[in-house]
Amino acid sequence: MMKRDRTRWLAGVAAAIVMILGAPGPAAAGQSQKQDQPKKKKEKKPKRPRAADAAEQPAPDEPIDPQIDFGGRGPRVGWKQHPSFRVGSWFRLDYEMKMQEDGHASFPGAANFTPWELHRNRVGVSGYVTKRVDFEVEYELTEKELQDKDIARGALPRSQWKDVDVNVHVLPTVAQVRAGKFKIPFGLDEMTGVTHSDFVYRSLGASYLDPARDIGVMVHGRVFKRGLNYWVGRFQHDGDNAQTHKEQGGDNTVAARVTGAPLRVLHPVFKNLEIGGAIAVSDVSDQSFLKCDTLDCPNGLRGRTVVTQDFFFESVYVNGKRKRYEADADWTAGPVSARAEYTLQLDNRIGEGTSNQTLSDARGRAWYLAGTWLVTGEKKKRPVKPESDLFLGGFGAVELAARVERLWFDSVGDTGGVPYRSPRAIDILPASDRVLTFGVNWMPNRFMKLQLNAIHEQLDGLGDRQHALTKPVPDQFWSKVVRFQLVL
Amino acid sequence: MTNLRRLARCAAAAALLFLPPARASAQTTVTPDAASPMFDDTVLHDVSLAINTRDLAILKANWQLNSYYPADLTVGDQKARGVAVRSRGGGSRNPVKLGLLVRFDRFDKSASFLGQKSVVLRNNTQDASNVRERVAMQFLRRMGMPASREAHARLFINGEFQGLYTLVETIDDPFVLSRFGVTDGRVYEYKFNDVAFVAGADPFVFNYLGPDSSLWQPDLFNPETFQSQVDPQGEVIGKLFQALNDPSPAWRTLVAPYLDLSKFVRELAIENYLGEEDGLMGDYGPNNFYLFRRASDTLFNIIPWDKSNTFWPDPGPNFEIFRNILDGIPSHHNLLALRVFNEPDLLNLYFDTLLECASADDGFLEAEVTRAENQIHDAALADPLKPFTNDQVEQDFVAMRAWAHDRAANVRRQVTDARAQ
Repeated sequence: MMKRDRTRWLAGVAAAIVMILGAPGPAAAGQSQKQDQPKKKKEKKPKRPRAADAAEQPAPDEPIDPQIDFGGRGPRVGWKQHPSFRVGSWFRLDYEMKMQEDGHASFPGAANFTPWELHRNRVGVSGYVTKRVDFEVEYELTEKELQDKDIARGALPRSQWKDVDVNVHVLPTVAQVRAGKFKIPFGLDEMTGVTHSDFVYRSLGASYLDPARDIGVMVHGRVFKRGLNYWVGRFQHDGDNAQTHKEQGGDNTVAARVTGAPLRVLHPVFKNLEIGGAIAVSDVSDQSFLKCDTLDCPNGLRGRTVVTQDFFFESVYVNGKRKRYEADADWTAGPVSARAEYTLQLDNRIGEGTSNQTLSDARGRAWYLAGTWLVTGEKKKRPVKPESDLFLGGFGAVELAARVERLWFDSVGDTGGVPYRSPRAIDILPASDRVLTFGVNWMPNRFMKLQLNAIHEQLDGLGDRQHALTKPVPDQFWSKVVRFQLVL
Repeated sequence: MTNLRRLARCAAAAALLFLPPARASAQTTVTPDAASPMFDDTVLHDVSLAINTRDLAILKANWQLNSYYPADLTVGDQKARGVAVRSRGGGSRNPVKLGLLVRFDRFDKSASFLGQKSVVLRNNTQDASNVRERVAMQFLRRMGMPASREAHARLFINGEFQGLYTLVETIDDPFVLSRFGVTDGRVYEYKFNDVAFVAGADPFVFNYLGPDSSLWQPDLFNPETFQSQVDPQGEVIGKLFQALNDPSPAWRTLVAPYLDLSKFVRELAIENYLGEEDGLMGDYGPNNFYLFRRASDTLFNIIPWDKSNTFWPDPGPNFEIFRNILDGIPSHHNLLALRVFNEPDLLNLYFDTLLECASADDGFLEAEVTRAENQIHDAALADPLKPFTNDQVEQDFVAMRAWAHDRAANVRRQVTDARAQ
């Protein structure tokens, strides 16, 4: 299975490199622009490509920018941001591809741990029909959730469809309506595109407390000259992160998120400081676990280690409401950036005691503080675009990154009893993972990224009480990860 | 120059990332045995389980599955929170009077209760008297065998009386520590394949299946202890049975690193003395035993399990000492038992051990049956979920006492007759 995936991936990489070599360079783009917009003032004479021109090219994993067009009338194909098919100025269909190959190493004896894996292999299309309707469809070709034994017993995989949605500009910028499957608006790190991340892996809070994608409808927009952004939506369940082949997750999620730059009026240094917050409320039912194939799968959230995916906190039975709260800050200044986020999740446990008593809420909390520095001097953006491409007179962009974070679980309040480990524990025994990540990112050009991460994890509150771990897992250990990313 | 500095910084950062990581390792600890109060057979215990009613309904509806459900357990005045309960048993598994396995370490690997990682609540649905298992294990221990301790208990689930049960010490890490003095042993439970047997397949009769580890575990011998779960080493079990089936005259030399044949013969004799119909020389092929070996060597020990079918009533106290050797279905015969009885010294040991059992008995079994009966009589009759009538229970008490009374004389006579032939 792995061999077939890697062969397919290598073939994809080879094809992609051929496509990259054939992609339009800055000069070609200039020519194209000239041809597309003949009525504009006369273009300068085409010149030799300059490395610095690369920064002017849109990166393929940036949002589609309707302004980046090669004009003309009637059907035509071209490639600026993505390989693209256009009809006049009213229809655009871009082909997109994202591939990530990971290599990792961790403590000796880590079970079910593959040194190399094709982590993501996504294809999709996006575009618009008239300037008022956007659409996107993205599909994951690699499904990691199920192992062969799961498939053999007939377990169903999580959907491999990612973003599948339509966005209608009801009132351009002020009010848009998005419908389909897309990310529930919750969490700065979770909302950041997977190919834009400063680290190989998202923070633990984003991975295990934030909801991620679901089917729903959302109203969103920007007001006060982009000083305030908002998202409000209703969703069928509570996102992919809460669902596994054992757990159904929550239902009927209402989520709202607001971000803004309220401090920008105080001082220029706060110009790019964006503050955000979100809330999401879902129903969680104690009936959902009945769909689990072994009948002993509680439906609460779980905690796993970053790389080896060992459970350091197993789910508990929950029933009632699941509430998530989040606050974040995102700041950039020239080549540096900083991010911080705090997430709180509370699950009701109505009637979930061994004597049917209502237990105090199960609680998950997470925070992280992250910083990056583009040592090659580019302005920090996501994605990072090098000022000077490799092989075009430069070296690409190099960035250093560091993140400290914690994810921990327990129950609210103190009944005076001794906490213990059970899916129906009165006082849940606290368990946490503290993680320190150091990273180097190298972007040779706008298509490729190489990420190296060293990750130190410390499992707290376990001691020798490795309740959920089916094998000896050290209290603290290092993992190393390398990721090669290609985006077209 | 600036670019060179930047590149140097990048290279230094990358080098730092890939320095050898610090390592630490987890340790598994087993606490010394402290379970005596739970297996004190001088008292009839009261055991309570609190299970969420939804879980209990699912457990009863899916009694054939091994799914675990969280519960709280109380034995006397000792309470264990966060235990896990599941339905258990082969022939004794029952949707009405649940056979239960209670695990204290299911949700917390290091958790224990009175020194135990788990305990069986045996429902005794195949034993109207309820005393076979307890008295047989007691006799095995009397004969120096590593057998489970047991005691009777009234079981209440969510306050409702479920009937008379037997608390049975499980064969796991604490058992290995208390009986063999090691914490690094590997224990495997032999899993009789009921489904295949009912479908007409021949049972496993100690034949050699091949060298592949997966042929021996987990389906045939299920790893029980932590070490054997991490690294099952089924191939070592394969080597045991390869040696047992070696056709050469030197087979006993080949077997020596894997099994002490004299201990095996003693186990055969004691089980036979107890009239065990479903043991190593069982009517349906070998059954109800565990294998144990230390991590440091390859020598296996046989640990007896489930003695519900001892004191077998057919034909009674004159239960044949060569049952399923000279009679029975040939395809169910234990190949190793057949082989050891062809070795004169081992056959002689078998006879000697049977006589030793008779001496060790000398009224012991009858006294213990009577003591147990007096202790549990009222609870057995009050058991609301038992698959027997009260008359059947009373009759079985009588039959058990008679069986125990007559067994020693019958065995002595059979041994004398056999040696004369």
